[in-house]
Amino acid sequence: MSATKRPSGSARPLASAAAGLTGNVVGDMLQRLFHSTSATGRALRLAGLTAGVTGSYVGYMAQRMFLGVEGRDTKRRATHAKTGHRIRDELQLLRGPVMKVGQALSLHTDLVPEEMLAELTKLQMEAPGMHPSLALAQFRASVGRSPEQVFKRFDAEPFAAASLGQVHRAVMRDGTCAAVKIQYPGIRAAIESDFRWIRNVTLPAQASGHLPKAALDEMESQIVAETDYVREADHIEFFRTSLKPLDFVVVPDVYRDCSTDRVLTMSVVAGQHLDAFLAKHPSQRLRDIVGSRLLELFYFQVLILKVLHADPHWGNYLFNDDGTIGLVDFGCVKQLGSEFIGRLRKSFLYPGRTDSPDFRRIVQEQFGSPGKKLSSVSQRAVADFAERFYRKVYPPDLKDADRAFDFSDPGFLRDFLRAAGKLARAKGSTTEYIFLVRAEIGLYTTLHRLKARVHTSAIVRRLLAESRKEDGSS
Amino acid sequence: MSRNSSQAAGRRARNKETTRSRIVAAALALFQVKGFDATTTKAIARKARVAEGTVFNYFPTKEDIALHFLEQEVEHAMATVRANKRLRKAPIEEKLFALVQTQLEFLAPHERFIGAAFVHALTPGSKLGIFSPSAQELQFRYLAFVQELVDDAVRRGQLSAASWWTPHVFWIYYLGILLYWLHDPSPGKQQTLAFLDRSLKIGVAVLRQR
Ligand SMILES: Nc1ncnc2c1ncn2[C@@H]1O[C@H](COP(=O)(O)OP(=O)(O)O)[C@@H](O)[C@H]1O
Repeated sequence: MSATKRPSGSARPLASAAAGLTGNVVGDMLQRLFHSTSATGRALRLAGLTAGVTGSYVGYMAQRMFLGVEGRDTKRRATHAKTGHRIRDELQLLRGPVMKVGQALSLHTDLVPEEMLAELTKLQMEAPGMHPSLALAQFRASVGRSPEQVFKRFDAEPFAAASLGQVHRAVMRDGTCAAVKIQYPGIRAAIESDFRWIRNVTLPAQASGHLPKAALDEMESQIVAETDYVREADHIEFFRTSLKPLDFVVVPDVYRDCSTDRVLTMSVVAGQHLDAFLAKHPSQRLRDIVGSRLLELFYFQVLILKVLHADPHWGNYLFNDDGTIGLVDFGCVKQLGSEFIGRLRKSFLYPGRTDSPDFRRIVQEQFGSPGKKLSSVSQRAVADFAERFYRKVYPPDLKDADRAFDFSDPGFLRDFLRAAGKLARAKGSTTEYIFLVRAEIGLYTTLHRLKARVHTSAIVRRLLAESRKEDGSS
Repeated sequence: MSRNSSQAAGRRARNKETTRSRIVAAALALFQVKGFDATTTKAIARKARVAEGTVFNYFPTKEDIALHFLEQEVEHAMATVRANKRLRKAPIEEKLFALVQTQLEFLAPHERFIGAAFVHALTPGSKLGIFSPSAQELQFRYLAFVQELVDDAVRRGQLSAASWWTPHVFWIYYLGILLYWLHDPSPGKQQTLAFLDRSLKIGVAVLRQR
């Protein structure tokens, strides 16, 4: 094999991965043999990818996760479509956190070119699988028994891909249907090595403050935590109890005795992913109902539970014709501090003028660090955000309380992403805030795709009141 | 031969088999706890509740017991892959994965002994040694099976005829996997599963490109 030969087309990710190692197959094999995490192999493959496309695509992607990129170069579009393809292939092969980055990215409908979005959207729904022999072996290695011993029936072929593995259908001994999520082996070590690499390629962005180290740390710890399915099982149980007041939400039931840190067995949640749901052309009424419920679910979590079930992508909601919403994926759960929520309550639906000293004080509290005054640029960015986005989507005036906001308007999403990008760059925005914005992007993109009309202010007003009552504060 | 005596012969053969497996089980248990080298034939006999001479009747040396176990291991893995209907249509990388993985799962309870056997295999003159006739016979049987799987993949168009491919390449790969497995500290030997999967996929992809 010549060292320069590159595979053509993107249909053979494995082949291209192997070609990325051209001339170094043996060396890499040896390294893999003696280096238990195969960090080198992954780095090499990624390096092969980035060299072929742009200087540092993955670093660029990681930046985009938190930042807006204003102005789009139309000339880049063609390359994007092509690279979108290749990136997905490579990402699927690597199956690491980069895939998560990809998922987060594909929510930035405005920031990522549409062609690439189309490619990346696939990433949310389909990932390559383990063949049955590997899935079965991984189950045995993790649970200590084989699926045939545990279940009445077990489908060796998966029915859904997960970011770190895949999901199989099974029937429990008592006849109930179960979803068994099995993690690809060795993920955790692989993620740690990926991050060593991502940290390296994003050094410039870190130095310039564009990609705060804190954000990277946050990302890594979240992604690593997400590999622990025991923790995820705890989350599921928490949400199953706490979301009881919302009778339209369905949360799975965990079967602990056939779950481990790498295998998660739970009841099957009914419903379809957004794409499939929309493909059946649901009525405006149904889309409005589902949209309102999504918003209510979101702010119920933020304002009442102060916890977000939010890996921000719509792949985590399953929609039903009766308007119920199934929740899956409880890996990435975020606690929001009481203080943070307290401050959010003050600014949300703020009735006065956004250029008033009072509002400025609230903004300073919310986004500034204690003892350090928020720069006037940041001040203005926040006020602008409040004025141009929140006021529009959540009209604070009581007389508008019954107005529904129409999320089909593309302008609102663009405004949101632009303003959020500006804000994220403002020094001093907390990681909590970054997380909330990411989750909001997920929510708004979903509502936009649903073209839902939602009584935003009415829902938020009710939850704000409830939240204040629960905390016994103003 | 009368009916009675043929029944008796069958019984004798069965008894013989039981004794043999009792000796092997006792030896393996001791190898795992005490180590291969520290285990004496006397201890094996005691644990198997047979006379020491009986052990010698079945297995002239400890290496013969080990070899017998490895033979079982290989036979078991080949039979498992053969019996698995679903695997018949599976791509070659999955078949090879299933083969090696079945071997590793069979070996798992005897990890310590396998480590010792590995070292022994490198000792010149050992019956487990790579050039000993008995060990080679087993190796050939194993590699013939691998070749069978590869031929089948070529017939199905999954692989192009790979001229440089020889089962010996696979044998070296297999030894590498075994070494990796022995050194894998991860729970459930996670790293080995991943390594096996990825390396087979890459290996097959390389073969496909030729
Ligand atoms: N309990 C469940 N019931 C039905 N489908 C499920 C269930 N859990 C997971 N799935 C399916 O599997 C997909 C991936 O699961 P998810 O938990 O989101 O994986 P991950 O968070 O690891 O990417 C989901 O989008 C969904 O289609």
